Amino acid sequence: MEPATENEWDRLSSSSSDGEEQAASDGSSSQFNRQQHVAFLMMMYESLPHHYQYQEINRITLAHFAISGLCLLGALDRVRVDKDAVSDWVLSLKAHPREFYGFHGSPSSQLHPDDNGVLMHNGSNLASTYCALAILKAVGYNFANIDSKSILTSMRNLQQHDGSFMPIHFGAEKDLRFVYCAAAICFLLEDWSGMDRERAKAYILNCQSYDGGFGLTPGSESHGGGTYCAVASLRLMGFIEDNVLSKNMSSSIIDLPLLLSWCLQRQAADGGFQGRANKPSDTCYAFWIGSVLRMLGGYNLIDKEALRGFLLTCQSQYGGFGKCPGDLPDLYHSFYGYTAFSLLEEPGLNPLCAELGMTEFSALGI
Amino acid sequence: MESDEGDEQQQEAERLPLSQRPEWSDVTPIPQDDGPNPVVPIAYKPEFSETMSYFRAVYYSNERSSRSFQLTKEAICLNPGNYTVWHFRRQIIETLHADLQDELAFVGRIAKSNSKNYQLWHHRRWVAEKLGTGAVNKELQFTKKMLSLDAKNYHAWSHRQWVLQALGGWEDELDYCQMLLGEDIFNNSAWNQRYFVVTRSPLLGGLIAMRDSEVNFTIEAILGNPENESPWRYLRGLYKDDTESWINDPRMSSVCLKVLSTKSNYVFALSTLLDLICHGFWPSEEFREAINALNTPDSGPLDSDLGRAICRVLECVDPLRCNYWLWRKSKLPLTVSSQ
Repeated sequence: MEPATENEWDRLSSSSSDGEEQAASDGSSSQFNRQQHVAFLMMMYESLPHHYQYQEINRITLAHFAISGLCLLGALDRVRVDKDAVSDWVLSLKAHPREFYGFHGSPSSQLHPDDNGVLMHNGSNLASTYCALAILKAVGYNFANIDSKSILTSMRNLQQHDGSFMPIHFGAEKDLRFVYCAAAICFLLEDWSGMDRERAKAYILNCQSYDGGFGLTPGSESHGGGTYCAVASLRLMGFIEDNVLSKNMSSSIIDLPLLLSWCLQRQAADGGFQGRANKPSDTCYAFWIGSVLRMLGGYNLIDKEALRGFLLTCQSQYGGFGKCPGDLPDLYHSFYGYTAFSLLEEPGLNPLCAELGMTEFSALGI
Repeated sequence: MESDEGDEQQQEAERLPLSQRPEWSDVTPIPQDDGPNPVVPIAYKPEFSETMSYFRAVYYSNERSSRSFQLTKEAICLNPGNYTVWHFRRQIIETLHADLQDELAFVGRIAKSNSKNYQLWHHRRWVAEKLGTGAVNKELQFTKKMLSLDAKNYHAWSHRQWVLQALGGWEDELDYCQMLLGEDIFNNSAWNQRYFVVTRSPLLGGLIAMRDSEVNFTIEAILGNPENESPWRYLRGLYKDDTESWINDPRMSSVCLKVLSTKSNYVFALSTLLDLICHGFWPSEEFREAINALNTPDSGPLDSDLGRAICRVLECVDPLRCNYWLWRKSKLPLTVSSQ
């Protein structure tokens, strides 16, 4: 994410207080400033500052952070979000039949078919499709109205021989992130015809490193994001049972004790979580690693107070979270900050479905 | 490889709007169609909007010309995350048979300020793949350069691993890891690469053949900085899928004992010893004595079961993971004594 400059946040600071809850004058202090965070997300929802133009191809991801974020904060029903307008916008990004019929990340990659009705360019991709479905779940859209078949049938074409996934039909990097997106899409559409689960599982297992964590590709360094994608995918596909740490670990398809040890070692002396050994703590790993522990049934093994303390130093007085203590906030770290506080069971926040990265209510369609 | 981005930066500073360039006068830009109720609209800067509108025009009409090629460069510099621009550029490269070495140079010039951009690295891989084994040296040089700026750049390491596996060039890789570890023994990426080389290089004998010398190297690294997690993990990794050999290698427990005897930075030594015991290692009396000598705050008689005793010490000296050590203790098999 591009760092913001001081004056770009002026309008945030001028409209940050709502009067409902007294935020501490130094916003990064002892409490989670829910009201401030709601205001921050609403501001992002209505207009993103220009330095987000570098993210514009993934606008739907930014929309997911804003809307799902509001959902997590229990604010989606309270604010000026027109749920029908949101679902209309998301659906407008659906690709017309050709190659992978998923969702685009933004209108900028979306061109209308030519006079012969031929769509020359299809930029729809797996990550945008996952975000689209996440948003539609958050606003309570009826999934019966989604053309699942076209998404799933075409998605099979994106799976590679080794089980990994390409995100887009014309080729791009292949790694665990897109295996996760594919698994989440199948799960949300309740239909596994979109992927070969056994082959995907084989690829995931090849990504477990000698130290117990998972890299994004086989052989690469174990990494918080890669580990989340691996474990969440295996959970969604049904290859890891609920609360597996309290059961017979030796029958697991992955090296569970080593994974557990690796995950817990990621909590650093400052209380935050790091993404890799010997690297600085970063807000978002409280979600990536925290979720893995939650999914395995080991979240209570961390030091929650220490984590909370670290996250609060990353909380911005303007609302939102930054990457590191004192950083200016951005949408990505804000969203993952909220998920982290949901895992910590912060009062007022909705419970998180760790496997899907959205509220339990959204995931269950309540 | 050029290390500065002078070319691209200069062009940015002197940028003439596309609408004022005569060579673009015949093109009607296509503005972005945001629809009636856009969500998270972005306050685009004018040059960004204009460039993307002209890009959409040539993309839509599928014009694979040299002016389009130039435009993709401008669009990439303004919007390096846009994969459709990169994709179209690749299509133009193929149509025009553009020079691939020039393309590597272009990527090299903008790499520094886009060092963590997935599209840039994918594009680099695409070009290198087309060039084939002839590109090996350049790619190893390029990644080495990028790693000299950030020795843990995940994209650079991924690319380097891909180069080695797809194009070769393994000869100096172990030395390269050695050099990086010499610069920073805490660099976990370099440890990971070392494992990659030791286990996959066709020029070395494979893990088992390399194990002995690697164990010695790793133990030296541990003794130098016992608080460093990386070599401990690496040491265990050398015995992946071979627990029997692991617990039977006397060097495993002796390194733990050595560190314990220094009475400082012994958390990993303790946890490793615990793991060895859990997998069947029988500790001699000197281990008990070493742990006794630690004089940790939680005094009181040491548990007769050494595994339990270790857990209790860890609860004190690694308080962040206190809950974990309590849990480990609860999972220990019940034994009468440690011998």
